[in-house]
Amino acid sequence: MFNINSIMIFIQKLRNIFFSNILNTIFSLVIILLISLAFLNTFEWIIFDANWKVVTSNLPLYAFGSFPSNEQWRPATWIISLLLLSIITLFGPEWKWLRQNLLLTWISTIPLGLYLLYGGFGLSPIMSRHWGGLTLTILLTTCSSLFSLPFGIILALCRQSSLPLIRKLSSIYIDVMRAIPLIAVLFFGQLLIPLFLPVGIEIDRVWRSILAFTLFVSAYIAEDIRGGLQAIPNTQIEAANSLGLNQYQIIQFILIPQALRIALPALTNQSIGLFQNTSLMAILGLVELLGVGRSILANPEFIGQYIEVYVWLACVYWLVCTIMAVLGRHLEHRMTMNQANF
Amino acid sequence: MKKRRAIFYQCGICIFVISVIGILINNLTINLIRTDLGFNFSWLFKPASFALAEHPLPYSSSDSYAWALFIGWLNSLKVIISALLLATFLGTLVGFARTGKNSLLGLISAGYITIIRQTPLLLQLMFWYFIGFLGLKENIFIHIKNIFKISNQGIEFYGLTLSSEFSALLFGLGVFTSAYIAEVIRGGILSVPRGQWEAFRSLGLSEQKGLFSIIIPQALPAIIPGLTSQYLNLAKNSTLAIAVGYSDIYAINDTIINQTGRAIECFIILLTSFLLLNLLISNSMEIINKIIIKSRKYN
Repeated sequence: MFNINSIMIFIQKLRNIFFSNILNTIFSLVIILLISLAFLNTFEWIIFDANWKVVTSNLPLYAFGSFPSNEQWRPATWIISLLLLSIITLFGPEWKWLRQNLLLTWISTIPLGLYLLYGGFGLSPIMSRHWGGLTLTILLTTCSSLFSLPFGIILALCRQSSLPLIRKLSSIYIDVMRAIPLIAVLFFGQLLIPLFLPVGIEIDRVWRSILAFTLFVSAYIAEDIRGGLQAIPNTQIEAANSLGLNQYQIIQFILIPQALRIALPALTNQSIGLFQNTSLMAILGLVELLGVGRSILANPEFIGQYIEVYVWLACVYWLVCTIMAVLGRHLEHRMTMNQANF
Repeated sequence: MKKRRAIFYQCGICIFVISVIGILINNLTINLIRTDLGFNFSWLFKPASFALAEHPLPYSSSDSYAWALFIGWLNSLKVIISALLLATFLGTLVGFARTGKNSLLGLISAGYITIIRQTPLLLQLMFWYFIGFLGLKENIFIHIKNIFKISNQGIEFYGLTLSSEFSALLFGLGVFTSAYIAEVIRGGILSVPRGQWEAFRSLGLSEQKGLFSIIIPQALPAIIPGLTSQYLNLAKNSTLAIAVGYSDIYAINDTIINQTGRAIECFIILLTSFLLLNLLISNSMEIINKIIIKSRKYN
């Protein structure tokens, strides 16, 4: 219900903030003018000047790349199930069995996605070079984050270990990985992984890049989790020792759950960063979301329409990043609200 | 008993790591023999036979690969240092606007930060290059006599010309990093207790004076480590220069691999050059940190 008084107070507050003295008033007015000009120009461009045909006529390409068109329901099913799962996680009912199995459901989306993309067992098999678009971007992100989390935890535990040799080895790995740029890791991953494998065994491009992403991101995740491990007070370990838990039980029940909870905001940032960084594969020969944009721009029909394509791609990236950030914050909130239910 | 077990574990890990590395090196040598490449660095002194658009020191295509790599390293250093200055300047402005009293400015800077942080750097770089500079076509964006000129040839300022590749990279990296630096600076300012603000106001100091002589000196120790890690990130991100065609150390390594196929050697060279860059940045930040701590002590 609107209340005249509260509106008056609100206006008074606005006046205090923006128009408290002459200088402030001029400043605020100039800013408001600039913002409205920028908004007007943007709207005018979006509605009248921009030619959105380059986006609307290529929507399946952005979503699925060059996936055979009669099989495109498969990646579509996967993306829609991921979206549905996000919505259930955020707004779903508070059923206990649902909440307890949510983590498992999230992890099981990855084999589901791989099955839907690869085919076999009743679906026609499709080679990984036909994968592309947003599907490939999401696949790279989910697979690499799933693989790099356990690897990162192991590295972090090794770095905190009391055995000097193990500590040294993992800290060398982490420091070297954090010193090299990602694009170098990815590029040399494409070039060097085949050289390090025995003759006759080959990994395709997508898996090579997932492997390179995993090697790279796990070093960063290890540092985040190490921060979480260091934040756990020593008394916890003493208490666990006095309860008679052995070392593995301490790691499993005391250290890892708490370290993960403390490191969660940083881990969310890492996975958002990973999602953004999958765009680097566009210059290394995978046709993921940005790669699709580049290939469309190379099409003579749409030549020179850089602004439309890039603005559209920026919106897609921004949207997915925001969804990821919201999911991360939701998880954080649940964990602090209900620490026992980890 | 416990010590013996520790030694046993470490020996086990040691044997495991050595055997894994051994298998990998074995595979590598087999593959290198198969492809007839071998492992040596003598190719470094052969003529490079590719041209570089930008070279701070004299360079021609008959110069050696080693010289080309050094030029690339200098190019990297050039773009890193200039983007670092730009990012610090912009980031400080946005960070202050975010923490300041004016909530309109705060709103704008919050929008700036979310937009920049939620889109990939590569996309932003392409945006700057293809739309910001190449999109200008023949028409010149700003042209003030012979002093300042922005066109698709880049930026010209008093005879100092910056190529469009360099400028796109400079703005892309600078703007991207500035959003992160703004958050670092905001965190630093918020880490100063509120009582400090109230104290200098009650002493009758003006806002500017209080900010610069009370708040910032106390915020700096919290800001410097964050800044260092952002600078290191910027240095690593500068390798995306290859997307806009600027010849930095990574782009030159890439060209050399395409010409000679020497991936392993180039990887080692790239690793060492980045080690040097990282050491340079972190050591100079360490020196700055020491100066700040010292100046606080004697005040």
